Amino acid sequence: MKKKSTAFKTLLIDFLLASYLVLCIDSFIFTRHTMENGIDWASFGVVLLIGLILGLILNRVSKLSIGKMFLKEYDTSKARGIGQKPYAILGLVILAVTFYVGVLVTELSFYEFFSQAGIQGATRIFTALLNPNFEVLDQGILAVIETIYMAFIATAFSLPFAFLLSFFAARNLMNGSGFGLTVYYVIRFFLNVSRSIEPLVWAIIFSVWVGIGPFAGMLALMIHSVSSLAKLYSEQIENISEGPLEAMTATGAHPIQVIWYGVVPQVILPFLSFTIYRWDINVRMATVIGLVGGGGIGTLLMQFQGLARWNEVGLLIIIIAAVVWLMDFLSSKIRESIK
Amino acid sequence: MENLFKLDKLEKTYPNGVRALKGVSFDVNKGEFLVIIGLSGSGKSTMLRCLNRIHEPTGGDLQFKGKSVVSLKGRELRQYRSKIGMIFQHFNLVPRKSVLENVLTGTLSRTSIFKSVFNMYSDADRQKALELIEVVGLKGKEMHRADNLSGGQQQRVSIARALMQDPEVLLADEPVASLDPATSHSVMEYLRKIQQQYGITVICNLHFLSLVREYGTRVVALKGGEKMFEGSPSEIDEDWFKRIYGEQAVEVTIN
Ligand SMILES: Nc1ncnc2c1ncn2[C@@H]1O[C@H](COP(=O)(O)OP(=O)(O)O)[C@@H](O)[C@H]1O
Ligand SMILES: [Mg+2]
Repeated sequence: MKKKSTAFKTLLIDFLLASYLVLCIDSFIFTRHTMENGIDWASFGVVLLIGLILGLILNRVSKLSIGKMFLKEYDTSKARGIGQKPYAILGLVILAVTFYVGVLVTELSFYEFFSQAGIQGATRIFTALLNPNFEVLDQGILAVIETIYMAFIATAFSLPFAFLLSFFAARNLMNGSGFGLTVYYVIRFFLNVSRSIEPLVWAIIFSVWVGIGPFAGMLALMIHSVSSLAKLYSEQIENISEGPLEAMTATGAHPIQVIWYGVVPQVILPFLSFTIYRWDINVRMATVIGLVGGGGIGTLLMQFQGLARWNEVGLLIIIIAAVVWLMDFLSSKIRESIK
Repeated sequence: MENLFKLDKLEKTYPNGVRALKGVSFDVNKGEFLVIIGLSGSGKSTMLRCLNRIHEPTGGDLQFKGKSVVSLKGRELRQYRSKIGMIFQHFNLVPRKSVLENVLTGTLSRTSIFKSVFNMYSDADRQKALELIEVVGLKGKEMHRADNLSGGQQQRVSIARALMQDPEVLLADEPVASLDPATSHSVMEYLRKIQQQYGITVICNLHFLSLVREYGTRVVALKGGEKMFEGSPSEIDEDWFKRIYGEQAVEVTIN
């Protein structure tokens, strides 16, 4: 039974890798597909077919199956050197093809990088950046203060939500009953989904919802902070020692008292530390979110960049760097002191 | 003799399928110092945790003072647990909290959630906690962080915490297994004092037979989740010892 499913898994891996290889060779190296061509689903089917045949062959031929290598079907303890590991050579071929396709797709152009016009542009922008215009210092400082407070409020508002959610997202507290486990899975699912959506995307959504500005940026950061913090918090809860929990249960304490005395004292400092770190991250993210209209120094940067006022941009970059460095320094000092 | 617990074919199968108790039956009498012995993995800890229902028995019946307690729920279950103090091998104190705060957690079952969250314990409870700290010989350490104390001191804090519950029974799960010999005896003396002066029944898992003979008034031995001996400590001779602990075992003493 187990043997069979392993064999199937190795074949599946070989099939997918072979298809990938055929697809790369066909569409990028031979025919040079571009976006405008769209996808030719018929020939994609052909690619899968060839991939299946090739995959079967690789799976059967001795020592050429990457699938078997992954699932530890080969005894690699005796193999010395790459000559005795043909699957490793195949792996390298796939890596090389991926690299080549990667270069094609990202349109690396060393010519433009070193061309006359390119160098001139770079010189112009760097000269301007290195000659920051201090006349916009006031404006920049006010904007960065907005960013810092936006990040602080986003962190502070997300804290109670993340705190509450984390207990329901901790497996060791929820596996007592079927209902508890269901709640655990549902919450985990939503946390994972909301965390996998970048704050930048949330900012775009909220800037349509509540209008462009710091509030939209704050909401975007908050959503992301709630899910990130809840995840970190709940992992911390899952790592506590069960002893105090057990002792509190044994005294006849109510489940809320059990959590308050059995769990919270064990996690409070790590929680604090994560939260301060989150504020630090949020200041950086708030800057980026500002670029899409989330307010603060990012938005200001975007305006000057749109007007090609590089000297002003230069000053803003200095302010951002200074603030990011300062936040980083402070947050690591604070986190150290509460260990 | 007044009966306190009655275990009737008590079963415990863990969710992973391990059958830790295979129908164990015996009675616990009020006021005795009952010692449970057996190899590691024989089900001693499981048995103690079934008594106060921090683990759920999966079969058989358990009676406390003549009433079945296997189906108690919610508030009733918590009231029941509050009558049974428990101490552990690794003390299980609340980290980062003072000795006094730890001892006060013994009152949680009679303190409202709101008051306990904000540390608003009654004056009577505070007074009592201070007295108990003195009883276990830790006067002057009330405000020390409990997790910075030595092992023996931590175990005494946990004894005070259990006494704070006004318990009728004290369960002790290998209370001296992580302590050195001298400290072990001091902790065992406190347990004896609790049994003899306060009249609290003690049920204690132990490893060392010498401690069993010195402190126990009665012994139950478990092996592979089944009761294989019940009697007085003096009845455990060489022969029984080998049956409980296996042919290879050699008795070690702790002085
Ligand atoms: N939480 C648990 N989940 C699954 N199996 C457990 C659990 N606790 C104990 N066991 C198993 O139950 C058996 C009895 O364990 P335990 O009661 O701890 O014995 P003892 O205290 O005598 O050493 C052992 O086989 C142990 O592995
Ligand atoms: Mg044990």
